[in-house]
Amino acid sequence: MKYIITTAAFIGIALLILLAKAISNSDLISSDAFRILLGLNIFFICSLIILIAVQIFRLLQSIKKEITGSRLTLRLVLSFALMGIIPVLIVYLVSVNFLTKSIESWFDVKVESALEGGLTLGQKTIDILMSDIELKGKSIAYSIGNADTEQRYNILTDLRAKFGIQDAVIFDQDSKIIEVSSEKNNLIPSIPNIEDLERGGENFFGRIEEIKTGEIYLKAFIPIISNTLISKRLILQLTQPIPPSIANLALSVESVYEEYQQLTYSRNSLKIIYILTLTLVLLLALLSSVAASFVISRRFSSPLAMLADATRQISKGNYKKIISEQGKDEIGMLISSFNSMTSQLEVATKNSEKDRERLEIARTFLETILAHLTTGVIVIDDNRLIRLNNVSASKMLQNNESKMNDKPMRKIISKNSLFEPLNEYIETYIDDNKKNKKEISQEFRLKKDKKEKTIMLQITPLRDKKSTQYVLVIDDISEVTQAQRHSAWGEIARRLAHEIKNPLTPIQLSAERIQHKFSDKLSKADSIILERSTNIIVNQVNSLKIMVNEFAEYARPPKIQKDTIRIDTLVDEVIELYKIDKIIIIKKDKNIPIIYADQNKLRQVIINLIENSQDALKEIKNPKIKIFIRKKTNEVELIIEDNGVGIPDEIIGRIYEPYVTSKKTGTGLGLAIVHKIIEEHDGKIKIERINTSGTRVIIKLKSGKTNRNG
Amino acid sequence: MHFFKKISIIIIVVSLVIIDRLPDSEDNEILIKDVVIDNSKDIKIIEFNQEINFDSLILKAIKKGIPLVFKVTLKVVEVNDIWPTKTIIKKIGYYQIEYKALRKVYRIEDINGNKYEYKYIDEAIQKILKVEDFKFLFIDNHMNNELWLNVALDRKKLPKPLQVNYFDRTWYMNSKKSIHKL
Repeated sequence: MKYIITTAAFIGIALLILLAKAISNSDLISSDAFRILLGLNIFFICSLIILIAVQIFRLLQSIKKEITGSRLTLRLVLSFALMGIIPVLIVYLVSVNFLTKSIESWFDVKVESALEGGLTLGQKTIDILMSDIELKGKSIAYSIGNADTEQRYNILTDLRAKFGIQDAVIFDQDSKIIEVSSEKNNLIPSIPNIEDLERGGENFFGRIEEIKTGEIYLKAFIPIISNTLISKRLILQLTQPIPPSIANLALSVESVYEEYQQLTYSRNSLKIIYILTLTLVLLLALLSSVAASFVISRRFSSPLAMLADATRQISKGNYKKIISEQGKDEIGMLISSFNSMTSQLEVATKNSEKDRERLEIARTFLETILAHLTTGVIVIDDNRLIRLNNVSASKMLQNNESKMNDKPMRKIISKNSLFEPLNEYIETYIDDNKKNKKEISQEFRLKKDKKEKTIMLQITPLRDKKSTQYVLVIDDISEVTQAQRHSAWGEIARRLAHEIKNPLTPIQLSAERIQHKFSDKLSKADSIILERSTNIIVNQVNSLKIMVNEFAEYARPPKIQKDTIRIDTLVDEVIELYKIDKIIIIKKDKNIPIIYADQNKLRQVIINLIENSQDALKEIKNPKIKIFIRKKTNEVELIIEDNGVGIPDEIIGRIYEPYVTSKKTGTGLGLAIVHKIIEEHDGKIKIERINTSGTRVIIKLKSGKTNRNG
Repeated sequence: MHFFKKISIIIIVVSLVIIDRLPDSEDNEILIKDVVIDNSKDIKIIEFNQEINFDSLILKAIKKGIPLVFKVTLKVVEVNDIWPTKTIIKKIGYYQIEYKALRKVYRIEDINGNKYEYKYIDEAIQKILKVEDFKFLFIDNHMNNELWLNVALDRKKLPKPLQVNYFDRTWYMNSKKSIHKL
């Protein structure tokens, strides 16, 4: 489009020059070429108007679509157009006024009067000459009329010569030449027309003829009234040239007068054509400048529009937007600086992006760690609102809410009343240590109803300039403390076994020896007492031996010999021993997978559990022991449940600890040993009460030919 | 640009029509009548009368010394139903009226160049309205020939300011084409 406008502007200038040339050339102005030129100008002006209208339409569309730079272009176009229109309009109005007044001044009244005076003077001069020739002609006619026919020529010639007449011819009524007298000897007179002769035959008749250019002749017709009886009337024709000096002047005045009159008559046309030409020039100049203003405005606004567009792109994050160079002026420098800034921004953004990625990786890493931590982590702010927590914290606090963020810590912890002491401790810590923040950790033994937990709470303040946040690390150390207790019990058992087992055999042997040596020597009554006493010693020693052996078993170091076994076959073998009771019901899935375990140890587990169930069923009517062997994903599940008296609530939390038993005769080591064996096989054991009465033991062991963990 | 392309042809056509119609609209009509053709010899002689509306402006112009030159265009054409009309003869003649201020006469120059002078404008006009003795050589070819006659004011002979005043329709005097069988 800019090429079209530029071309149009050049054509406009060319047409202007042609129009100016044409208007100054009077030959060209009346030719068809001028008409074509005018037509071309009008056509071009129409084209320019349409071109500008299209440009304005497009510009308004751009503004409507909020295309960058369009408003600035409009402003520049208006400014440029006004800069062109105002001075050109002023020049135009002044020119039109000047032109109109100038043309009017050409036709001054004085000039017209002078010309008319000149013309009248010429006319009067000719009239005087005509009067003179009339007098001379009448005199000649009178003389000829009174003369004889033979004397006519001489009289005519004499008087013509005397009066200084150039030609004198006598015609009759039929235009026949009667006599001719001339300064030129060889004159062949022209025959006048009949009308002139008829008028001249009646009275004097004179006329002025312009025979050649610049030569004016006076022609007079005078009737000859004869005294003789001549039938035909004669007419004298005199021809006399007006002196050239007078004639030239008179013709010159006439010519100027005519031209002046023509101009006077044409002055409106003159005004119209000059004003038309001026208007065309004005329109061409104006429209060309307005059309050019679009190109210039776009030239100015386009780099700024590009800058604005690029700024928008950068605001959207596209730092690769580079603007093409636009010369070495201020705008070019601005664009160059902008490109430089964009490049720096891109580098900075890339670095920032890398940092952000690193942060993201670190955050993800931290989140992964937090998510996989069995320890609960909660971050709270000064207002006790939770800012961050991991899944373990949520699980540990037994909170079902998926998101704890931005919720008050107290509200979340209070949902489980078991953890209420933690709330109070944290509140107190924050209130007491607002200024001097120190890391602190505290163990809590939480017990409510039948639940018991050991919790380790660690509070670490994170301080920055504006606020302080607190990291709460909540660790459920119930199992750790239990394991510690198991370990302690193991040590005790080992020492007990070592210290007690050694003297038992000599005690038993000594008691038997006493009975054997002194039973015969004592009286019957004393012998009976001795026998009873020694039997008690032996029995108690045996009981101690059993107890010590069990302690030894509990305290033994983990030494198991694993092999691939079938748990269902093992269960079948063990049940075979208890078949007499007919209270055992076994249900097992098909294709139970093999496991990798110590067969003897597992046998001991099954025996211990069945015997426990038997003990619980002693006073129960319709006793039942149900054994289920189920196939699970990568696991084998063994469930042994009974409908016995069940485990009391008081001890169910510590059921795996030695010496914790509800039986009157038990050592309290059976379940502790079972728990230990299952742990040694990386299995899981869970003991639970069945609704009203009865106990269910669930054991889960990993299936497969090898134990992945050992 | 697309819009400009679409309307460019319309603009050109409209502009050409305007330019073409400028001199032709609402002309003062010259009526050719009483056409007499002497067809007896090879040199044909035409006579005809005219009706020209000399309004006050034109009369004033004549009195101001503006010469009015009328152009008589005579064409002998061969008319064919199939082919385009063929011009056999074309002859142009002029007659004019002019006021000579010095001698206070209206000078008439007829189509054959004869000059006449009249003291009164009515006489002069009467003289120019009748065109006589307009001769042309034409040997009859016994084809379907027609004589086309047209009279118009010759604008090129007007003073230049009047020539370029395209908007003044006074000076556009033209007759319709007068067609006669030969």
